[in-house]
Order: sequence, then structure tokens, then C-alpha cells
Amino acid sequence: MKVLVTVKEVAAVEDEFEIDGTAIDEAYLEYDLNEWDDYAIEEGVQISESEDDVEVVSVTIGPERSEETIRMALAKGADRAVRVWDDSLEDAEMLDVEAKTNLLAAVVEEEEPDLVLSGVQADDDGFGATGVSLADEVGFEWAAVVNDLELDVEGGVASVRRELEGGVEELTDVDLPAVLTIQTGINEPRYASLRGIRQAQRKEIKPMTLDDLGLSADVAESDLEIVDMYEPETESDATLFEGSPDETAGQLAEVLRDGGVGQ
Amino acid sequence: MDFDLPTEHQMIQEEVRRFCDEEIEPIAQDIEDEHRFPQEIFDQLADLDVMGVPIDEEYGGLGGDTLMYAVVAEELGRVSGSVALSYVAHTSLGTKPLDLFGTPKQKEEWLEPLASGEGMGAWALTEPGSGSDASDMDTMAVKDGDEYVLNGTKQFITNANVANSVLVKAVTDPGAGYDGISTFIVDPENDDGFEVSTVWDKMGLNASPTCEIQLDDVRVPEDRLLGEEGEGWKQTMKTLDGGRISIAAISTGLAQGAYEAAKTYSKEREQFGKPISKFDAIRDKIVHMERQVERARLLTHKSAWQYDQGESVTKSSSLAKLDASEAARKVAEEAVQVLGGYGYTEDFSPQRFMRDAKLMEIGEGTSEIQHLVIGRELGL
Ligand SMILES: Cc1cc2nc3c(=O)[nH]c(=O)nc-3n(C[C@H](O)[C@H](O)[C@H](O)COP(=O)(O)OP(=O)(O)OC[C@H]3O[C@@H](n4cnc5c(N)ncnc54)[C@H](O)[C@@H]3O)c2cc1C
Repeated sequence: MKVLVTVKEVAAVEDEFEIDGTAIDEAYLEYDLNEWDDYAIEEGVQISESEDDVEVVSVTIGPERSEETIRMALAKGADRAVRVWDDSLEDAEMLDVEAKTNLLAAVVEEEEPDLVLSGVQADDDGFGATGVSLADEVGFEWAAVVNDLELDVEGGVASVRRELEGGVEELTDVDLPAVLTIQTGINEPRYASLRGIRQAQRKEIKPMTLDDLGLSADVAESDLEIVDMYEPETESDATLFEGSPDETAGQLAEVLRDGGVGQ
Repeated sequence: MDFDLPTEHQMIQEEVRRFCDEEIEPIAQDIEDEHRFPQEIFDQLADLDVMGVPIDEEYGGLGGDTLMYAVVAEELGRVSGSVALSYVAHTSLGTKPLDLFGTPKQKEEWLEPLASGEGMGAWALTEPGSGSDASDMDTMAVKDGDEYVLNGTKQFITNANVANSVLVKAVTDPGAGYDGISTFIVDPENDDGFEVSTVWDKMGLNASPTCEIQLDDVRVPEDRLLGEEGEGWKQTMKTLDGGRISIAAISTGLAQGAYEAAKTYSKEREQFGKPISKFDAIRDKIVHMERQVERARLLTHKSAWQYDQGESVTKSSSLAKLDASEAARKVAEEAVQVLGGYGYTEDFSPQRFMRDAKLMEIGEGTSEIQHLVIGRELGL
């Protein structure tokens, strides 16, 4: 069985930053593994630990810098990795869901996984759509926002629990091959062991260009255009109570009473 | 010349830092208040292969280099001096000598459990009557048939009450001076006559046990002799070369932790209508901290690198230890000052770094002794 885990390097913004045109100035960005993907990796690795003959392959779309991120997936137990990048992607202003879908679909065709695990969403651009869109493109079944997974490898069925709005949960059986978008909290992502990190240096990260995937440069073309980027006005209305617990409790009670709470 | 850490080291630094921030930092003050050795932390560190970083892979170690070890020790020091001190006493003092000087059979029996982190290591050189002048020791080991009989008192032995084994220095040939000292592997649990007589309360580092031990007719079989009879002092010199690098690394970590606490606070705390970091006096303190931390780290990494090249590090490790331990004390003290009254409370970390830093100027050779060593290296 083969599990493909999609991972993304996401940009985190420092507390203070500046916006440069329609993007945040590079100087204020730090890059890290997308939080949801950490759970997807853990889920993939746990499957390989509990079932026989499971290969976990991790895939990312990103420049050479993103090897750092994908190597952490290898350190945590993925067997090998694929990194898709190309000069024409470098030049694109933004890779939208459609572009990522087409790129990842080409990788799925190449790798033929039984199960694809992605994060529910990416912490930075937050489209939250790539996993399901990928399933649609490659003709896989799917389930989104999965917070529990039982795998019946023989029967080719993934029994999942999905988190719906308003605290409602749904149990679904999904036939493989399938794409599952993984929610945080489904497991407890491990720390990479030092031995894992050392071994990861020798594991393969296969670079793939558009050519390698049989795609042309127009895959990066997008119907979306970012027209503006700004910080919304924040209305901060914090009251700081000072004094002894007795005094501050009194002050709090007063605010609550004035606000109409607990009349 | 390349000042960047190799990728592997960077990843290790990043992941160990994440572990430290999430698992150790939240309890760092509690374990001091409780004077409690945090066994659960060391169990987790063992699972992550941290306990045998510079030790041969064949015996359960990670097979990493000294630079990697220094990086890890610094990260531990950045959150908890106690965890870091017990860690380096385990690694540099209790474990590395078994790796360097042990027979294959000794390594299997004594090195493996330490390198894999199943047990803690300890090393007993200092005595009540001999500290800086360490070779002037009174502990004796007398051959009796195929056994040695050990008698004496050892002072300030880190980890002795939680150790799987203690490497004890003792005199086997009283007339031979430096060449009359040997090293023995003592098993605190199973060797009769071994007793921990005191666990000291200290001004800091109280989650790292510092013990006085009594050896009262402790009989060990002759295969517990590490290396040859009379090699104990030469081994000590080699052990302290690596040990000083590890103390320099912890010191850099303590300084870094204190510096970060002060820097963050200075940007948040407002007086006279602006963040205190905007006052020249505070800004200059923070800048001076950065300068000292950076210098300490450079000296430490250089010495670790030299060690890995197989070069002599007597001078560089001494310089690194001398400079980094002083940096840790000064930076921590300034950090307390930057935090004002809050800096003096136990709710904030600078006071802990300040207490912990002081030991770094004392343990594994006081600063005065480092001056002596460096002076000798300079031909003075
Ligand atoms: C928390 C802690 C952990 C420790 N862990 C260990 C351990 O695991 N194993 C171990 O064996 N030991 C350990 N030690 C012992 C430590 O290495 C010694 O305390 C240290 O070497 C100093 O020895 P001393 O305390 O006897 O001081 P002394 O040697 O008595 O020194 C007192 C003062 O005199 C100065 N002085 C001495 N000689 C000279 C000289 N020739 N020139 C100038 N000044 C001099 C010293 O610098 C110092 O300022 C530990 C100590 C502490 C506090």
C-alpha cells in the first residue's frame, strides 16, 4: 500500500510587518511546515507502523528552500519525497487551487497511491480546497476535515469521522483510493528523533519539473488576481483591572452588570 | 570557512528547541522549587536519541559530532540549567570516557544503557579535600586478589543518586603522582559499600542532584578498571577537554535564554509612555547581551569544531568555557535588571538563569583554573 502525504511550507508573519504591494514584505516572513500537514504526516507514519508493506511518500510544491520542510517529514518517518518546482512556477505571482490541483494530480498519476492525506487547509493562503479539488480531478473518493481514521486495508475502506459545523460529527466509510483532508487533533504529532533527522539526510527528495510531469507552463496561469492586501482596522476594547483579587473581581462584576449580564 | 551549521545540525537544533519550549520550559521553575530531578524529561530525551549524541552508534549512541552535541547542550541550557547540567555530566563525564577507553565487553555492559538513555551516567573526581588540585586525592583502590577495594569520599558528584554507573577516580599507586590514578566503574545499586551521604541544596540548579558519596570497602571485580592502571589522570584531561566545551555550550544557552527574556520584555514594558527598549540605557544593555552571547557561541563552536578535527582543544575549550560562563553570569544579571522588580521574582526566568550561570564559573575547573590553563598554553 502506498500513502501520499501532501505537505506545504507556509509563511508565518512576525508580530510587526510591512506590506509591499499585494504581498507581505519577505523580510518579515519565516517559513515552517503547515500545522495541519504535521498531523497528516503523523497519520501516514502511524499507518506504516501498524500495517505491513506501507510506503509513505511525501510531496510538496515549492522552491529549494522548502526541502528543509519536507525533510522534517522524512525525519518523522516518511520513506521518500517528491518536490515539484519549475522556473515558470517561480515566476507565477500565486499558485491557486487549480494550479496546485493540476500539479498534484500529475504526481498522483505518477505515484498511484492508494491513499492521499492532505491538511485541511494551509496556514498562510488558507484556500482550504486543494485536497478535495485534487480528489475530484483524479477521480478518487474523498472526505474532508477528518479527525479520526480507521483503515481496513484488505477491504480497501477508510472509516472516518468528520468534524461538521456546530460540534456535529459524522461517520463515513470511504472506498479507496481516496483523498482525506486531515484535521488537527486527529493524533499527536511526534517530535522527530535525532536518529530520524540523521537518516532523513540520506533519504531521497526527487525534484520534478513541469516537463517531468508532462505539464506545460500555463498550469500556473490563474483566473484569480490579488487586488489588494491590507491590515483590517482592529477595534480593541480591552479593560485592564488593577488591584487585589477582591477589587478586580468587583470591577469585573460591575462591567458585567453594566453590560447586562447576570441581572 | 563556513559559519553556517550543517543542515542536519540545524534540523536537530530546531526540533530540540521545539521540545525544550514545549516540554521543559513550562516546568523549568517548578522542578527548581521542588528540588526534583525530572526523570520523565530524561525518558523523553532518551526516546529522541538525545542521551548519546557524541557516542558510537555501535553501542546505542547517535554517532554525532561534538558540534552537534554542543548545539543540543545549548538548547537545553536555554530553558533549564539543571536539565542541561545533568545532561552534560551524563554525556561528557559519565558516558564518553566509556566510549573512549572501555573494552568491547565494558561498552556492552556499561556504555549501552547510558548511550541509549536507559540509565544516567556520573563521574566522581572531586573530593572534600581536593577540588582545583584534583589529582591530590585521598580515595584509594587496593588490589585484593581479582578485586579492587575502594575507600574514600567524593564531593559534588552530579547525578550520583540517579546514576546507573559512576566513574570513580582513585589512587592505585600512592607514590606515582599523576601516574598513580585509575578509573573504576562503580554500580551504585549493586555494589555494597556505596552510599550517597548528602544531596546538596544549592543557590541554583536544584533539579540537578549534586551529591556527596561514601565508598566504604566497595569491592569491584578487576574488569571494572577503565583502561589501564595509572591512566586515570590522562583520561581525566581528555574528558575535561570535551567537558569544558559542554559547559561553554550550556553557558551560551543560559545567556541566550536570559537575553531573549530581557529583549522580549523590553519591547513590551512601557514606562514614561514608551517601551523601555527605546531608552538608550536599556537598548545598550540588550545590545551588549547580544554581543556577549554571540562571542560565547563562536568560541564554543570553534572549539567543538577543532575537537571534531582531532586537534588539541586544551586552549580553545578553556577559552570558550571561561568566556561563555562569564557571559552567562553577566547577561543573566543584566536581564534581571532589565525586568526591574519582576526580574527579582520567581515568576520570570532571569533570576533562574542568574543562579544557574554562577556554577558555570566553578564546575569543571574554576575561572581561576582556566586562566592557569590558558596561561600555561601561552607559555607564561
Ligand atoms: C553543582 C556542582 C556540580 C559538580 N559536579 C561535579 C561532578 O559531577 N564531578 C566532579 O568530580 N566534580 C563536580 N563538581 C566539583 C567542581 O568541579 C569543583 O567544585 C571545582 O573544581 C572547584 O573545586 P573546589 O570546590 O574544591 O574549590 P577549591 O579548589 O577549593 O577552590 C576555591 C577557590 O580557590 C581558587 N583556587 C584554587 N586553586 C587555585 C590556584 N592554583 N590559583 C588560583 N586560584 C585557585 C578557586 O578558583 C576558587 O575560587 C561539581 C560542583 C558543583 C558545585
